[in-house]
Amino acid sequence: MATAVSAQHLSKTYTYRGGSTQALDDVSFDIPAGETYGLIGRNGAGKTTFLRITGTLLLPSSGTATVLGYDIRTEEREIRRRIAMVPQESRPLYFATTEQLIDGYLRMRGMDGTEARRRRNDVIDELGLADVRRRLVSRLSGGQRRRVMVAMVLASDAELLFLDEPTTGLDPLARREVWSAIQRATRERRTVLLTTHYLDEAEALSSRLALLEGGHLRIEGTPDSIRARVQLPYRVTLDSSWSVDELTSFGPVTSVVGGHLLFTREKEAREIVQSALARGSRVALAPVSLEDIFLQLVGRPLDEGEVTEKPEEPE
Amino acid sequence: MSARNRARSFLSIVYLNGILPMRAQPLYLLNTIASPLAFLFFIDVASRGALSSFAITGGLILTILTTGTGIQADLVHYKQDLKFQDVVVASPVEAPIYVAGMAFSEFVYSIPGLAVFLLLSVGVLDYTVVGTLTLAGALVLIWGFSTAFGFTLATYFSDIREAFVFAPLISILMTTLPPVYYPITYIPASIRWAAYLSPTTYAADLVHRGLCAAGSACYEAPSAAATAVDWGVLTGLTVVLIVLAATKARWREP
Repeated sequence: MATAVSAQHLSKTYTYRGGSTQALDDVSFDIPAGETYGLIGRNGAGKTTFLRITGTLLLPSSGTATVLGYDIRTEEREIRRRIAMVPQESRPLYFATTEQLIDGYLRMRGMDGTEARRRRNDVIDELGLADVRRRLVSRLSGGQRRRVMVAMVLASDAELLFLDEPTTGLDPLARREVWSAIQRATRERRTVLLTTHYLDEAEALSSRLALLEGGHLRIEGTPDSIRARVQLPYRVTLDSSWSVDELTSFGPVTSVVGGHLLFTREKEAREIVQSALARGSRVALAPVSLEDIFLQLVGRPLDEGEVTEKPEEPE
Repeated sequence: MSARNRARSFLSIVYLNGILPMRAQPLYLLNTIASPLAFLFFIDVASRGALSSFAITGGLILTILTTGTGIQADLVHYKQDLKFQDVVVASPVEAPIYVAGMAFSEFVYSIPGLAVFLLLSVGVLDYTVVGTLTLAGALVLIWGFSTAFGFTLATYFSDIREAFVFAPLISILMTTLPPVYYPITYIPASIRWAAYLSPTTYAADLVHRGLCAAGSACYEAPSAAATAVDWGVLTGLTVVLIVLAATKARWREP
């Protein structure tokens, strides 16, 4: 299988007045071509730094990477011809309409007018932007602006798309539209490198995932292989008729609103479900989600604060 | 990128950053002309018309300098607030094309200002052909070094407020204080050297000598050696700043 991105011992330290922060620490992994690859982790985990390095916006402190076979340090022009990026928190130029902006971006990349218009019209329809195609971007909602940014890069002819938290701020329906467009990009055999802290998004879109935590690569693989690595692959939800003491012998217990959440192995899961049914209490059994895996591996949920503070821009 | 694609890229940036905002908010056009016209009015009234020709050429220099240095605010806004520069860096668009596109889109804003001052120049000033070419050459060089300077500065700013601090400061240090709107002979000889710390003084010297050669507003005897020095400094500075912009500016973060 061809490799779109290959990172070898990538490290990045931001230095600033009074100190430094290690954003990436010896990260190595490959991203196969033609698939959507999910990079997950909390804010400050190193996702955006990884994206900026491989997107040729930032130089690593040490280590290297190849993108589409080209070295990020010495062959950045070759890489830039083949990539497109929606940076985190990016916003469209306010004085353009949706159509003008997408069209302008495509022409800026060197695309001829006829092809730019065709691609623009396709992406506008696909991302549900037809109603606002002639509206100034300054008059769009935050979610619509985000979709315009995503539309710009999806309409491009880039082989590799970098999407840094592309659905942040979107409503569920708009998120689904963006997902559908991303899926279309991979059907066209393009590679998508997606960072997100929505695990459902990563799971729905990505054929492989990498979890970064504090600049370190914690897990890498397909969603199924990641699940297989987890020691406690079942999640049992029980009502509050159970006490924590009754459950601790089965595995780690977390009290949640209206009951308890238990992570356990298959044999113990069967036992507890049978006991619950015998007691007539409510019980639900499911394989662990990525959110649960994150909780087990890292010890706290993905949306619980930042790993560490980093400066916006290095000095 | 092929030459045709570069041209498309350049025109697209001018369209997105220059034409569209100008159409959406025509007041931008007045903004660039307000200060030079205010200076012209003030100097014309205060000197009872004696320095009008200096105020007109000074207005041209200020307008073109503002066009060049004004790029820094747009670049910082696009880089820090909109992250548009990141979108551009991670694309086939090359840095010189982006800067040229941004510079020309700034130039679009200055067209009314330049038009007004050029009309005034034609109507009020006596200029020889050489003087006209000198004026055009000096303006091109001012635009070149101020754009390169603005671009280099912008890549080091992390907040648009820094650009807001620098823009008026540059304007004061390069056009209000130096002898751009008035003859250099108005400055006492003992501190005249300080005026030459500003590159616009060399440009103004050239333009003022053009006025003198045409027989109007002559305050200093024209000198071939001084003219050569002015051209040399202005051209050298422009080349140095463009090279600096091309090599030292942060297109990719270290």
